Amino acid sequence: MNRMFSVWRKELRSLFNSPVAYGAILFFLIFTAVWFLWMDQFLAQKVASLRNYFALFPLAFIVLVPAVTMRSWADERKMGSQELLLTLPVRTGHLVLAKFLAAWTLILTMILLTIPMTVMVTGLGQFEMGEILGEYIGSILLSGAATALGIFLSGLATNTISAFLMSLGSLLILTLSVTLGAALSLPDAVGNILRFFSLDARYANFQRGLIDTKDALYYVWFAVLFLYLNTKVLILRKWR
Amino acid sequence: MIKVSHLSRSYGQFQAVRDVSFEVGKGQIVGLLGPNGAGKTTVMKILTGYHYPSTGDAWIKGIDVQADPLGAQALIGYLPESSPVYPDLTVLEYMEFMAGVRRLPTADREEVIDRVLKRTAADGFRNKVIGHLSKGQKQRVGLAQAILGDPEILILDEPTTGLDPNQILEFRHLIQEIGKEKTVILSTHIMQEVEAICDRVLIMNQGQIVAEGEASDIAKNLQGEERFKVRLKGVTASTALESLARVPGLKSAPTVAEEGLDPLLECAFPKDSGGGETLFDWAVSQRYKIVALVPQTLSLEDLFVQLTKETPHEQNV
Repeated sequence: MNRMFSVWRKELRSLFNSPVAYGAILFFLIFTAVWFLWMDQFLAQKVASLRNYFALFPLAFIVLVPAVTMRSWADERKMGSQELLLTLPVRTGHLVLAKFLAAWTLILTMILLTIPMTVMVTGLGQFEMGEILGEYIGSILLSGAATALGIFLSGLATNTISAFLMSLGSLLILTLSVTLGAALSLPDAVGNILRFFSLDARYANFQRGLIDTKDALYYVWFAVLFLYLNTKVLILRKWR
Repeated sequence: MIKVSHLSRSYGQFQAVRDVSFEVGKGQIVGLLGPNGAGKTTVMKILTGYHYPSTGDAWIKGIDVQADPLGAQALIGYLPESSPVYPDLTVLEYMEFMAGVRRLPTADREEVIDRVLKRTAADGFRNKVIGHLSKGQKQRVGLAQAILGDPEILILDEPTTGLDPNQILEFRHLIQEIGKEKTVILSTHIMQEVEAICDRVLIMNQGQIVAEGEASDIAKNLQGEERFKVRLKGVTASTALESLARVPGLKSAPTVAEEGLDPLLECAFPKDSGGGETLFDWAVSQRYKIVALVPQTLSLEDLFVQLTKETPHEQNV
């Protein structure tokens, strides 16, 4: 555990020593706030709900999560430091978990930095606090699932650009599949499958303030699955 | 400390290591010598648990690397080829990370890191970001990282590549110093390096060990003859050569290495036939004065060329 903590701290330092982290945080805060206040005309609408604000989070994650996770394994491979990392006396699973937790820490920082904004806005009227809590929990879980996928794909990629593009493409499909499916008027069976795998469909429940264990577990299993696969891939490479 | 038995490793169709076995005792510095692609790096990757062998086993201090990689890795300090490091971190941050992974007690971390950085002469740039360091500085950081936490075994893959001559000397000195207490395996394709610092050498070619032992022993065993250079005084080269050619027991016809009034002749006798004595007796009987009589041994460089020119696996096919 101590060793995992050391790896987590090293990953965080690597992330925060580069400008990408600050750029991503700034982009997230400005994009969501400007879109919500200006494009959505929140103040003019006189609706006491932040649903439109939180609806922007999954969209922002489509770009930001790949930007944060793309370097995770791809850079290590490119620079050869992966060899050093994988020959340290740390379990492969712990290395994967440490990398995941570091990237997720950065994403969580973004989400938590929106609190001043929510507090400010909720002062303007009668807001449903349960709904806002659900939205926070939902976006935290969703971002965890997306981050695990990003880390896994970074482990498959040979360079950061392909890691970024693979994660971007996957998240785009997983987030927008239901909306796209509806637009294309696909058969019900296909629509149901898309809805099951969609990251966004479950997020909609959280946005209504419904915290369903089934939805929460879906995100958790999603993350666990990809972290497990990431570990397996790394171990299999020892044989190749 | 290190034992490897019947190790083979293929990458797809390519067989990088074939049936390699060797042992390294405590406190030895062993050099893995061979041309590029001989399988040196693969052997090191297997010892450190980065790759698993296709067949065969590797043990570190009695621990089977494949069965208990973490147990083995805890005993090893490793400097991979081209000493990769994290460009975003400062030297100190990197060392703190390594200290955490190596589980140094928090209380002495600062002191231990300080000592290691001084030892590898890396303390002058401890607060610099690694990405901004020169190749030689990075190499020092790589070595500092490897010896941090006092591992019993050091595995260094081409530790001196990319260094300037002064740095190479410093590095060799440092490795020799470290090798007094630790078991070291280092790989190189530089002959002088092995001669300068290694107790023992394993020469690899095409995935196999083609020679093993002390550098001088290998040279002696490989040499099928006793070769001498002899310098005589006051006789012309041609006269001396004519006379020398009549000496019984020569392996091949003698040659003139240098003309002149004090000519230098070269001749060869079969192995262990006392050629030096024969030469001396001959000179006395002819009333020549020997100015110098020098036995010729193969240099490690000659050996290297001789051993690695051959292609062992083609002979096996």
